[in-house]
Amino acid sequence: MAYEALITDAFLAVAAAFMLLAIGMLYRAVKGPTTQDRVLAVNVIGTNTVVVLAVLAAGLGETSLLDVALVYALLNFLMAVAISKFTVDRGGVL
Amino acid sequence: MSVGLVPLAVPQPEPISAVEAALFVFVLLTAVATAMLRDVLAVIVVFAAYSLGMAIFYAILLAPDVAMTEAAIGAGVTTILLLLTIAKTVRPNEDRILERVDGTGLVVVGAFAAVLIATVNEFPAVGDGESMAWFNPAVSQYYIESGYADTGVENAVTAVLAGYRGFDTFGEATVVFAAGVATLIVLKRTVFTRE
Repeated sequence: MAYEALITDAFLAVAAAFMLLAIGMLYRAVKGPTTQDRVLAVNVIGTNTVVVLAVLAAGLGETSLLDVALVYALLNFLMAVAISKFTVDRGGVL
Repeated sequence: MSVGLVPLAVPQPEPISAVEAALFVFVLLTAVATAMLRDVLAVIVVFAAYSLGMAIFYAILLAPDVAMTEAAIGAGVTTILLLLTIAKTVRPNEDRILERVDGTGLVVVGAFAAVLIATVNEFPAVGDGESMAWFNPAVSQYYIESGYADTGVENAVTAVLAGYRGFDTFGEATVVFAAGVATLIVLKRTVFTRE
C-alpha cells in the first residue's frame, strides 16, 4: 500500500516538475522576439501539456485524462499551421 | 468508478498541491501576459498557452469532459477565429513588448477582483458533505443514486448534462451550430468543400 502511494507521489512530482518547465518555456513565449519563437514555445508547452496529462492520468488512476491528452496531441499542430498560413499569406487562415 | 450512496469520499492525494501550485503560477503568468502584450499575434499565441494550463486545471479537478472541450476549442477553434479577426486589423510597429498599465484602470479592476476573491471562501470545499448542494437531497441525491441506472453514464455531471438535461444540451448544440453556420456565411468561405 505504501509502495503504491510512493508511485503516485513520484508521478505527481514528475507532473509538477513538467509544469515548472512549462513556466520556464513561457519566458520565450512572452519575450519572443519573433512570432515564430512564440509559436514554437507554445507548441513545446502543448507537448508538455500532453505529457503532464498522461502522467496525471497514471498518478491519479484516471484513465479519462488520457482521452484529453489524446485530443491535445491530435490538435496541437493546428495553431502552428494556422499562424504559419497567416504570416505567409496574410488573412488566409482557413 | 463505483456508484455508491456517498460518492463524495473521493480521496485526494496530498502532493497534488505541488502540481496545482506550479499550474497556478503558469496560468497566472499567461493571463497577465495575455493582458499586457502589445502585439495581438503574440497575444493569440500566449492565450493558447493559457488555454493549455486551464485544461490541466479541469483535468486535475476531475472534469475530463470540460478539459476535453477546452482542449478542442482552445487548441483549435479560438486561435483560428482570433486570427481571422486580426487579419482585418493592423499590428503596432513598436519596440515595446508589453503594454503600459493605466493606474486608474488597475485600481478599478483590482477592486473588482478583490470583491470577487472575497466570495471564494464561501465556496464549499471539494467533497464537502455539508455544502448547500446537499440541502435539497430530493434532487442531488437522486441524480447520484440513480444516475448510473437511468443513463448508464459513470460521470454524474455528464449524466445530468447529456441524460437528464439532454434536450437542453441539444438546444445549446443547435445554437452553437447555427452560430457556426452564420459565421461561415459572413466569412463567405466554403471551408468544408474545396474545388
